[in-house]
Amino acid sequence: MLENVLTLDCKEQVERICSFICRQTQALKREGAVVGLSGGIDSALIAALCVEALGKSRVLGLILPEKESSPESSKFAEKHALKLGISTKIVEITSPLEAFGTYEKRDEVIKQIFPEYNKDYKIKIVLPPDLLAQDAFNLFKLITEDSEGNINSVRLNKVALNGIVAATNTKQRMRMLHLYFYAEKKNYLVCGTTNKSENMQGFFVKYGDGGVDIEPIAHLFKTQVYQLAEHMGVIREIIARKPSPDTYSLPVNDEEFFFRMPFDKLDLLLYAWENKISLADICSVMELTEEQVKRAFRDFTAKSHASRHARNMPPALKAEDGKNR
Amino acid sequence: MPEDTKKTLKDFIIDSFLPFAEENPFEDEDSFMEKGIINSTGVLELLQFIEETFEITVEDEEVIPDNLDSLNKLVSFVERKINA
Repeated sequence: MLENVLTLDCKEQVERICSFICRQTQALKREGAVVGLSGGIDSALIAALCVEALGKSRVLGLILPEKESSPESSKFAEKHALKLGISTKIVEITSPLEAFGTYEKRDEVIKQIFPEYNKDYKIKIVLPPDLLAQDAFNLFKLITEDSEGNINSVRLNKVALNGIVAATNTKQRMRMLHLYFYAEKKNYLVCGTTNKSENMQGFFVKYGDGGVDIEPIAHLFKTQVYQLAEHMGVIREIIARKPSPDTYSLPVNDEEFFFRMPFDKLDLLLYAWENKISLADICSVMELTEEQVKRAFRDFTAKSHASRHARNMPPALKAEDGKNR
Repeated sequence: MPEDTKKTLKDFIIDSFLPFAEENPFEDEDSFMEKGIINSTGVLELLQFIEETFEITVEDEEVIPDNLDSLNKLVSFVERKINA
C-alpha cells in the first residue's frame, strides 16, 4: 500500500504546476515571477518551472548572499540561472543585516552561554540526531568551532535559543524585502519555494521565505522535488548537494537542523501520518517498530502544532451579525 | 517529599504554559507533548526550572520523554535525581 506511493508522473506534474503558475500570474495581474535562488534544489526547481510556465524573459532570479552563506550557494545558483537563460541580480545583504544588527544581536546572546565566543568562531545549532534510532526531545545545541578547529557544544536554554533564532530569521526576512522590492518594481509576483515536507512541519520563516505570493510545490514532498528536479534538468551540483538552511557559519544540513531523519523515511512517514495509514502497514513496509513510528508521529504532531500560526492568516474577529463593527 | 515536588512542578507547568487554563487542566499521566502543553522551547524552560529549583544537573541523554513527558514521569525523574 505504501510502496511507490510518492512516485510522480513528472510530465503530468509539470503541466499541473505550470498551469497553476500561469493562472495565478494572470489572476494577480502580474507580468512575471521573481524567484529567490538559494543554490538549493527547491528554488532551482521553481525557477525551471517558472521558465516552463511563463518563458525565460518573464523570470527574474535573485541571488541574495550574506557573509555567512556558503560560497557554493551563489555559484550554483548562478550556474543554474545561466542554464535556464534567465536574468539574475546578485544583491549582497550583509550590509542591511549589519545595519539591523542581526550578527551583533545573535552574538550577544551566544556570549551569554559561551563567554569565550568571538568573531573568529563559526557556529551552528542542531537537534539530537536520528529520532528513529533514539528517542529524545528537540533539544537544540549550539556547536562552535574556533579558528584552530576545536569544536565545542553547549545546550541552549530558552532565552538563548529564542535570541539566536530571532536574529537568524532576519536573514530570510531581509531576503523577502528584496524579493518584494524587485517584484513590485517589475510588476512580478514572488514565487515561493516551500515544499510539503517543510510546510507540514513549519520549516520556513513566517514573513521570511514563507512571505510569498504563490507556493507551486507546497503539495510535493522533498523526495518528489528531487524527482521533478531530475526531470526538469536542474544542474547536477544542486541535486547532489545536501539541503541546508545555509544561515549559520558552520555547515548544517536540514536533517541535523530540523527533521532528524533522512528525507526518504521522513516523506513516507509524513504521508502515512497525513493519510492515517495503519501502524501495521507502515511497520511492515518501512521495517520500523511501532515505537519508532509513534515517536515520529509525536514529533510531527508537535512541530505541526507549534507552526500552525505560520501557515494560517492571523486570527481576527468577525463582525457580529447585523452590526458593522 | 514527592507530594511537595509534585505540587512545585505542577504549579510551574500551569503558571508557565497554561496561565489561562481552568483548574486541573491535565491529569498526572497526560503526555505534555500529545496534549500540546509543552513545546520544544517549553522543554528548555522546564529543564532550567528543575535544575535551578531542585539543584540537580540533567544530562543531555536524560532529556527524553520517558523522564519528562507527564507530571508523574517528571516527579519520578526529579525524585530519582535528588536521591541519587
